[in-house]
Amino acid sequence: MRQFVTPGEELPKETRRNEFVTFYSGKPYSNILGFYNEAKNEVVPLEGMWKPQVGDSVIGVIEKPSKPGIYNVVLSDFVQGLIIAGKYEDSYDFKANDLVEAVVASVERKRLAILERPRKLAIGHTIYVKPVRIPRIIGKGETMIGQISRLTGTRIIIGRNGIIWLSGGNMELALKAIKKVENEAHTSGLTERIKQMLEAESAARS
Amino acid sequence: MGALEIIKSDYIRELVAKGERGDGRKDMDVRDIKITTGTIDHAEGSAQVDLGNTRVLAGAKIMVDDVHSDTPDQGNIVVSAELLPLASAEYESGPPSPEAIELARVVDRGIRAGNCIKLEDLFLGEGKAWTVYVDVYVLNYDGNLFDASTLAAMSAIMNARIPEYKDGVANYENRKEPLNITNVVSSATFAKIGNSILLDPSGEEESAMDARLTIATDGNVIRAMQKGLSGSFTIEEVDKLAGIALEKHQFYLKHIEKAKR
Amino acid sequence: MASSLNKPELIVNGKRLDGRDFGELRPLKIEANVLKNAQGSAYLEWGNNRVLAAVYGPREATPRHTADSTKAIVKCRYSMAPFSGLADHGRTGPNRRATEISKVTKEVFENVIFLNEFPGSEIDIFIEILQSDGGTRAAGITAAAVALANAGIKMKDLVYAVSAGRIGEHVVLDVNMIEDNYSDADMPMAISPKSGEILLLQMDGGLTKEQLRKGMEMVIEAGKTISKAQRDALKDIYKK
Repeated sequence: MRQFVTPGEELPKETRRNEFVTFYSGKPYSNILGFYNEAKNEVVPLEGMWKPQVGDSVIGVIEKPSKPGIYNVVLSDFVQGLIIAGKYEDSYDFKANDLVEAVVASVERKRLAILERPRKLAIGHTIYVKPVRIPRIIGKGETMIGQISRLTGTRIIIGRNGIIWLSGGNMELALKAIKKVENEAHTSGLTERIKQMLEAESAARS
Repeated sequence: MGALEIIKSDYIRELVAKGERGDGRKDMDVRDIKITTGTIDHAEGSAQVDLGNTRVLAGAKIMVDDVHSDTPDQGNIVVSAELLPLASAEYESGPPSPEAIELARVVDRGIRAGNCIKLEDLFLGEGKAWTVYVDVYVLNYDGNLFDASTLAAMSAIMNARIPEYKDGVANYENRKEPLNITNVVSSATFAKIGNSILLDPSGEEESAMDARLTIATDGNVIRAMQKGLSGSFTIEEVDKLAGIALEKHQFYLKHIEKAKR
Repeated sequence: MASSLNKPELIVNGKRLDGRDFGELRPLKIEANVLKNAQGSAYLEWGNNRVLAAVYGPREATPRHTADSTKAIVKCRYSMAPFSGLADHGRTGPNRRATEISKVTKEVFENVIFLNEFPGSEIDIFIEILQSDGGTRAAGITAAAVALANAGIKMKDLVYAVSAGRIGEHVVLDVNMIEDNYSDADMPMAISPKSGEILLLQMDGGLTKEQLRKGMEMVIEAGKTISKAQRDALKDIYKK
């Protein structure tokens, strides 16, 4: 059983410093709801907002262009994306409500993400998952998402901001697998369990 | 906060950390107090309090009201407070702010919990009773509205004269009897700035304070407390400050008594 | 405080009316993550109190001029349902009492939330008292702390609140409605259990310096039980 931690809960001495650990009187405490990963001696959050970092792949929705060549992109309740034509590439032709994937090039005042390499996404299915669970959905070396995509035949694009785009294949099964990973992100042996689920359900279908 | 206020607040924090105050006071010193009673003739009682540069005016009106069904043998006392736009560039006109409501309720709580007026004494019979309305008007802000307002409200009700009452009607031309004041409370407000604690914070000290604690007492017993702002106090600090507030009551009482007439 | 007429005997044979000892809490039950739309939420039953707390945000501060470009602002609405009282039908919307409670509650959470993480945003805390039986502000703060943690908002500590009071010569813990109506003092407090710091302190009635000290110590002692209920509620989200 995982050791869950809550804000203000004392952690083992050997806890590694990360942004979810606060020191008080020389002792480490969690500042978030999460679990303690004993293999790595670190706190892993289970809830929380996405905080943009340079290099994050994101998916967002284009807002009505305010000026020619400048596009605001809705990424989350808190973070606004911005695409500026000419900054990284020459020009784009986006319309309001277009779905785009892009990469965070820089972050200003923690809540404005300047985006590069934007690409319009074709019509597909999009879902929202808790952003803190995205690393688990991707998996170490993309193993988790790789097997979901492979065993369902679905194209999957993941935004670190919690938006996931899917198209083709057994999309229903892919969605089910992703939701299962999101809900069971705190459990161990998950990659194997998902694999078994996918194989069993694909076999039943064919 | 604007840039100027931030610089000012940093300066105050530095000063306080060195154990000093901008006006040369010691940590538990109170600014000069001046209480003038009876300044508003139309009110049944009134008092203006100057606490350093903070000035508040309290007026007490005593009105005939129907008794409440849940307290059929009692009158009532109602304290309100207004942070007037003329008192500070920060205050705006409009409905009472949470700050004004908190101020009024803390002053009310001290006087009510201190049983300064026995509410049974306000009962007139036949479903009627006096309500004592105390309105605190903040005229100039320079910190510590809580203590200034408690002094003013207390002094105003001690200054009040009850109108003559006959057949359900109050005659405001004829006001003689004072209210039966059965206890006197004062409050002591402390500001915590960094690790230092100061009594009677000025406006600039309040702009730098992390937490505030108001303790109302009658000299023997603690009657009301209110902690404010996002900073914290320890149990040891509250323990110590309660002792100081109890001791300081005599000092405030002297000023209240002197102004009484 | 109600009139002294018809004052019931609040302590009989060394026990309180509901059978509790002086330092005993009412039964406390907390469930986290109870509302779908909110970022975080909690439902709490504490004696006969029924409280729902929900957190939205961090989200863009509105109106825009209320935003602080250096940190998140906290907004709090404490409100009592019109049907929450045993005898009376209350009015909806904020009255003076609710406004004051909302203000001091907001200040409690400003102390523990990492506000610098979300400049320009607001974090909304909604506390709805569905049924009231004394100590609702403490119950609201205790529930809101769970809702904030459930929302994944970074905090120094999980705050709890409870009130101490005095009945005659006895200092008592967790004052209920009937005790509050006739007691000689009521003192709600909110505590950061990690440090023991006092984040909310209100009092009215009458306490000697010694009774004040005793009441504060009772509140600290009760923290062990209340904190555990809060932390268990959060961990239970993942054990279903």
